[in-house]
Amino acid sequence: MSPLILNLILRSTYQTLEMVLASTAISVVLGLPLALFMLTTGPQGLYRLPFAARLMGMIVDALRAVPFIILLVLLIPITRFIAGTSLGTEAAIVPLSIAGIPYFARIAEMALREVDPGLVDAVKAMGGTRFTIIRSVLIAEAMPGLISGLTVTLITMVGASAMAGAIGAGGLGDLAIRYGYQRFNTTVMFGVVAVLIIMVSLMQIAGNTLARWLKH
Amino acid sequence: MTPILDIQNVTHSFGKHTALRNISFSVQQGEVVGLIGRSGAGKSTLLRCLCALERPQEGRILLDGEDLTTQPERRLVQVRRKIGLVFQHFNLLNSRTVAGNIALPLQISGCSKKQQAPRIAELLELVGLKGFEKKYPSQLSGGQKQRVGIARALAANPTLLLCDEATSALDPESTTSILNLLADINRKLGLTIVLITHEMEVVRRFAQRILVLDHGELVEDGTLLDFLKTNEQSATLKTLLADIRPTLPHFLATELCATQKEAGYKTTIRLLLGEAGSHAPLFSQLYQKFSVQTALLQGGVTTIGQHLSGDMIITLEGDQTLQALDYLKTVTQSMEILGYVPSHP
Repeated sequence: MSPLILNLILRSTYQTLEMVLASTAISVVLGLPLALFMLTTGPQGLYRLPFAARLMGMIVDALRAVPFIILLVLLIPITRFIAGTSLGTEAAIVPLSIAGIPYFARIAEMALREVDPGLVDAVKAMGGTRFTIIRSVLIAEAMPGLISGLTVTLITMVGASAMAGAIGAGGLGDLAIRYGYQRFNTTVMFGVVAVLIIMVSLMQIAGNTLARWLKH
Repeated sequence: MTPILDIQNVTHSFGKHTALRNISFSVQQGEVVGLIGRSGAGKSTLLRCLCALERPQEGRILLDGEDLTTQPERRLVQVRRKIGLVFQHFNLLNSRTVAGNIALPLQISGCSKKQQAPRIAELLELVGLKGFEKKYPSQLSGGQKQRVGIARALAANPTLLLCDEATSALDPESTTSILNLLADINRKLGLTIVLITHEMEVVRRFAQRILVLDHGELVEDGTLLDFLKTNEQSATLKTLLADIRPTLPHFLATELCATQKEAGYKTTIRLLLGEAGSHAPLFSQLYQKFSVQTALLQGGVTTIGQHLSGDMIITLEGDQTLQALDYLKTVTQSMEILGYVPSHP
């Protein structure tokens, strides 16, 4: 493997990591409140706003229904508005995040739903405020599940970031398509696949370890 | 003395189903009251009303003189901090250590970290879990979890402790130790305790007064001894008491005759003894006074609350049996002739 190719793979890996980490971080920061909103405004929730819960659910489902490759194109004007350009690694973070937020929100909502309602009742009966219940019961108790959800989102973002190559985002997927597929360079193709396998495996191992540790 | 808890004409329904119908009772400071009823009797609804999680549609609930039914939600959040609740399934946070769980009500009431540590140590000592601070609930047995649950319920110095089927998920050994712990807490701290349960055995051992709930109505209010004495028991009471009363074993019950057919049949009676009767040398008195031989078939002397009480089935044999029966009527709480059984070798 020539130093040139090695350099290409290294730079692409860096670009992929940048897109994946940034979009996952945004997905978690905005997706978790969204999940809490959907759960607590639901029929058994702490705030009970059934109409708002249903509306938000519909928006989330609609976003998740659009295939990511279409979403990328559809979102170009919004991307241009937020990032100033629709091309490049930084710009790709916008559509990746917009796809990631509802994705993580649904997974987080499931994890939060698994929390024993008896615990919510117990803390309510103790005179805990709704804020205390959300922080000390819902989030704290769902933490292992939330971490697992984060791992899944992270890995999904690795896959999605490859597609972002279509709008010139760079990254490993882009490299594999341009050098491996279009120029028949099998070395690059295998190199990229190897890096992706290692990246995903490491993410899964780290996620599992953290979730298990949090389970006590 | 004004009662610590005063329930006046509470009625609550869910849609068409009336869960509670005109319930009234009061609990004095330091009292241990057992609230018993079958599933669906309205226990859970009443409990949710008592701990201010549910607002009854009619009636008043006065806790320490304050009417909970008219207070705004903001105030109820404060009131709940003064009511300790112990749950059937413990409801401990798995994400927190034992100390963290006990600290939760302290955090809620705005206690600083510095004040929390000594209080937690003191509570763990009280419930017999010294040195368990750093353990997680998943590392504890059922009985230990419930001890943590009790420590947590006591943390914020409640005026009232509500126990919701606190021993129903525990094995007999842990049940005994948890009930003893609750009795200790009642004695040491003078804390008022309301036990909600479907098991007569639990209230027998420990409640000073028993309330019986059936189909949303309060059908009985009294001590267990009162209940045992009443001959015309309600159907609910009869089923509840059946669990703890001695009964003739099946093979003897089939031999039981209503009249004395022939000589050699022994008179079988059920006796209920109060505190004095339980301490008295009753059987030897019967022999000395009437030359009547006594045999114990079932039952014996047990504790009800803080008192001894006898509930037993015995047979009498002798020429002066009738006189002995008259005598027993005067010295026992109640005496009931069940019939006659043939003598066994």
